[in-house]
Amino acid sequence: MSRLALRKKVRTDLRQKVQGLLPGLIMPLVLASLWFFFSSRSILPAPGAVLDVLLDPSADLLSCGSLFWNTGVSLIRVLLGLSIAIMLGTPIGFLMGASGRFRHFTFLVTELARPLSPIALLPLSIIIFKDTSFTEVLGLNQLKYSRNILNELQIGMVFILAWGGIFPVILETMHGVRGVRKVYIEAARVLGASRLFIFRHVLLPASLPDIFAGYRMAVGRCWMVIIAAEMLPGTNSGIGYLLRYSYQLSRLDIMLACIFIIAIIGLVFSRGLELLGEKWLLLRARER
Amino acid sequence: MSLSIMNLEKSYSDISGKNLRVLGPIDLSVQNGEFVCLLGPTGCGKTTLLRVISGLEQADCGEISSEKGRLGYVFQQGALFPWMNIESNIKFPLKAAGMAADLCRSKAEEILDLVGLYEFRKSFPHELSGGMQQRTALARGLVTGPDLLLLDEPFASLDTRTGINLQEMLRNLCRRLSTTVIFVTHNIEEAVYLSDRIVVMGHRPGRIVRDESLSLEWPRNRLSSTFTEVLLSFRHTFEELVDPSISS
Ligand SMILES: Nc1ncnc2c1ncn2[C@@H]1O[C@H](COP(=O)(O)OP(=O)(O)OP(=O)(O)O)[C@@H](O)[C@H]1O
Ligand SMILES: [Mg+2]
Repeated sequence: MSRLALRKKVRTDLRQKVQGLLPGLIMPLVLASLWFFFSSRSILPAPGAVLDVLLDPSADLLSCGSLFWNTGVSLIRVLLGLSIAIMLGTPIGFLMGASGRFRHFTFLVTELARPLSPIALLPLSIIIFKDTSFTEVLGLNQLKYSRNILNELQIGMVFILAWGGIFPVILETMHGVRGVRKVYIEAARVLGASRLFIFRHVLLPASLPDIFAGYRMAVGRCWMVIIAAEMLPGTNSGIGYLLRYSYQLSRLDIMLACIFIIAIIGLVFSRGLELLGEKWLLLRARER
Repeated sequence: MSLSIMNLEKSYSDISGKNLRVLGPIDLSVQNGEFVCLLGPTGCGKTTLLRVISGLEQADCGEISSEKGRLGYVFQQGALFPWMNIESNIKFPLKAAGMAADLCRSKAEEILDLVGLYEFRKSFPHELSGGMQQRTALARGLVTGPDLLLLDEPFASLDTRTGINLQEMLRNLCRRLSTTVIFVTHNIEEAVYLSDRIVVMGHRPGRIVRDESLSLEWPRNRLSSTFTEVLLSFRHTFEELVDPSISS
């Protein structure tokens, strides 16, 4: 293809993409103009005021730290809780899927614990863990009175995040492993594969799409849990805390900015993981 | 590898818990390097017999004795791994046996050439036609150069021409490696063309009704009168099985 033709193709591709997005933009535009219209005759702040807050994300807000800082605190809490959920949940789910005995052994506990909202456990976890943060766990007491991320990572918070994330991971992994078609395992067996080889090259890849779906659900849940948890006692940082605090001080511009950030990050999490799943892991190269 | 089966029985219990005998007492011994075709109407237990021989299924009673050796198995429905491309599928048994990567590749490429799928080695199973998938499954069963090869209707969805080419290829390869083969098929002509010996199974319960070594010389000519004679005689046995009233 010549240079010119290539450029033309890129341009038409781009145009098609933009045209594909246009219908989806109608609703937001309508909502934004409604907002613009009503904000002048209500207590709702004007879009411009919210935009001002969003466009200066490193400015300190209400002496609680910047948008950057609070978003970062929430994100790091989620990532920490999520990693624990994944690291514990995946092997547990795998064992539950592969071994009937282990499944019967753990079944009752997981079934009882699963519907229990992590938020319901927040008071209990504050009682148990106090406000112990990673600074104390790691013995870095000299950091205690400076602004350091470790001070904001309370054990109790990470615990309920891990709690919220672990059940989707366990259940989806278990379903994935149980759902691997028997004929694949049999084929591997008669072709001389050992148990370990079957685990690595059959069970794992065949259940990967489900495991990944579990991770995606876990990320979504953790993001919901952290916002709710930060609005409750037990912390004074994070985007959820900033949201509640700005509400208390009637700074609705900051509050709306927080809501925007929460929505955008939620979107990036779910769409991003979806794309990652399709592109990297070739999850679609399965039987149709 | 020689194989001998004595007094083998196998039942399945159906949903109501009733026991259903699938394989009646079966006695069969296969010599080293022999090419045996297992011919029988649908549902007579051919697949079940292969599964018992390969150890995937436990027999209720009876004995199977064989030497130790590599096993090749080609499933009735391909059973290719959908998350691996064709080449990786074929390399699977080699890697499972711990073979070095470059040796795996050269062996896989050799067999890919034989079944005519070299250009498609990077495709995934769902991107291939049914016949190509079957050829891949065949290649995966053959690639280790097994001592005992169990094939469950491997050529069922191929057109006649491709089927004949692959029959030729399989036959030559197995003779060269003196592989012991048990080849399940519905197709009487295929059986007569390929095998040293044909075992006909009847159903309810699955049992051996005819067991005969063929005296046809190689290479076989499908149009010769001796070939047609043998073919007709087996067709007769087969028809009788399905509808006993013809026998008169
Ligand atoms: N897992 C099972 N549970 C219960 N019954 C079974 C099971 N597997 C096979 N059967 C029964 O055993 C009988 C023989 O089945 P099998 O698959 O061995 O037949 P087949 O000779 O291979 O037939 P086809 O030529 O159609 O492949 C059938 O009647 C089937 O219903
Ligand atoms: Mg069968």
